[in-house]
Amino acid sequence: MIGERNLWANKLTLDLKFFMLLCGLIALVPLLELTPYTLGILIISFYFALIAMGWNLLAGFTGQFSMAPAAFAMIGGYTAALLNYHFGLSLWVGIPSAVLVSALLGFLVGSTVLGLKGPYLSLTTLALAEVARVVISNSHDYTRGDQGLNVPTLMQSRMGYYYLFLGILIGAALLIYSLMRSRYGGFLLAIRDDAHGAQSRGIPIVKYKLMAFIVSSSISGFAGCLYGTFTELVSPEMGLIQQTGIIISMVVIGGIGSLTGPLMGALIVYLGSEWLRSVGNIQMIVFALTVIIFARFFRTGLWGLFLKLYFYLFSDKKR
Amino acid sequence: MGLFYALMAVGLSMIFGILRIVNFAHGEFFMIGAYVYALSAMKMGLNPWFALVFAGAAGALLGVVVEKLLMRPLYDGYQSWSIVKDEYAVVVTFALSLLLIHLVDKVVGPSPFLGPSLVSTKRIALGPLMLNGQKIIAAGVSVFVLIGLALFIKKSVWGRQIQAVAQNRFGASLAGIDPVKTTALIFAISGLLAALSGALMAPIMNPSPDVGSFPALKSFIIVVLGGMGSIWGSMAAAILLGVMESFFAVYVSYDYRDTFGLMVLIAVLLFRPQGLAGRKGRET
Repeated sequence: MIGERNLWANKLTLDLKFFMLLCGLIALVPLLELTPYTLGILIISFYFALIAMGWNLLAGFTGQFSMAPAAFAMIGGYTAALLNYHFGLSLWVGIPSAVLVSALLGFLVGSTVLGLKGPYLSLTTLALAEVARVVISNSHDYTRGDQGLNVPTLMQSRMGYYYLFLGILIGAALLIYSLMRSRYGGFLLAIRDDAHGAQSRGIPIVKYKLMAFIVSSSISGFAGCLYGTFTELVSPEMGLIQQTGIIISMVVIGGIGSLTGPLMGALIVYLGSEWLRSVGNIQMIVFALTVIIFARFFRTGLWGLFLKLYFYLFSDKKR
Repeated sequence: MGLFYALMAVGLSMIFGILRIVNFAHGEFFMIGAYVYALSAMKMGLNPWFALVFAGAAGALLGVVVEKLLMRPLYDGYQSWSIVKDEYAVVVTFALSLLLIHLVDKVVGPSPFLGPSLVSTKRIALGPLMLNGQKIIAAGVSVFVLIGLALFIKKSVWGRQIQAVAQNRFGASLAGIDPVKTTALIFAISGLLAALSGALMAPIMNPSPDVGSFPALKSFIIVVLGGMGSIWGSMAAAILLGVMESFFAVYVSYDYRDTFGLMVLIAVLLFRPQGLAGRKGRET
């Protein structure tokens, strides 16, 4: 047992190293003199990567398939926007309170729904996400409905946002890594692999599921709030089910239950869909087909394939 | 409205209730049914009644293909931890739903033959009366199909096999029933029902590639409200939900009418997981 745990921990460390390597490469990309448009696309794919990492903590490491990550991003974005719009509070109040509100909502939602299992959990979170979106788009008096709300921006420079998002991604990866290497990470894995077993060994499973849910929803809320300040607009469209679908697909393609997977998935899916859009409007078809193929045949995603290749080369050298 | 949703919800109930698979692509079966019906009736000049049968057959075929290609790993000794059973189904059917929507959008969507005006003339072709006539005929067909289905499940050998698999998959296989074949049959019936309701609704609501998502959500609510795997529960819940939603829209809030059903869904899942008529699912 201890050996296996160590093996998994080694894998995770390797995962983190590659994550850092990838981030290092990404940090060098702006040296290529990109157009502001391309830079914007990269920033938005970082936004998705951040939510995908948060969702992956819940789904990949804990095995709880929430369908609400995009809704939490929307809530985070709206918290900052509403505080600014109605009370004129600056973003330095808005951003922390966005994280706080999404954590609080994560706690409320989580403590209600996490007793449910499997498809029931997915359905309930899906329904809650839809309710939240409809409420926001219908409360014209407070949120201006589908028109969306303007948000002040942190800075004008896209380069600044690029490195801000990159830094936050690294921070989130370190947070998730240290969480997963700690005792609690072991509990989460146990819940994913065998909930009954974990419960009978005395792990309060709902409590730890709730913890993962709160961390995951605050990451989503933080991402949504930053995205709002970058685009200077929040709208109910951020919480569409399709957005959640895109996030889930990113994680599945990149590799569920890993650190590098969501980032790779987000970059590939978002950049790929932008590229396919220019080819012809086939991005959704290609993209849905890819997800099905990955989920059906390569369950560990790109990261799993990469890991296989890596171990193959690595063990060859040893011999 | 309730009756149309009932036809679809029963189809979903077969998959969700018996196999415990959440099929997010159910609404797209509905959409495919509507398209096959509209296209075959208008472009190939088929008799509308014949087109209806055609649409149903297409739905059944789609159900079988989906089951064969995508659902097999769910019960063929699926061991890998990376995506556990339910989650695999959620991801795959979600992607399938996106795929079907955009495929139809790409292939048929731009076609001028599917203008809403052409579709609305269809209602005269099928029903001798106006919109109401079409609705009455659709309701009649729905009732007819539902009764036929109930008899099929109660009386026929295949129907009894479905019942056996629903009760105990392993036990059924010991008794010489092939659970894989039965599952394919369940998917076929489910696809058939969804496509039929799509075809029946096609003249009433203009088919567009994303037409299925709304009825699909409704039928999830109905299945949960009615109780898993209970056909009568689903039918009662469909009518109940239709009535309650209208009341809610009139007396409480029109803007929020669509959230009402979702709140019902949440409440039922939290407080009465067995729904109106279903038995509480056994822990497996």
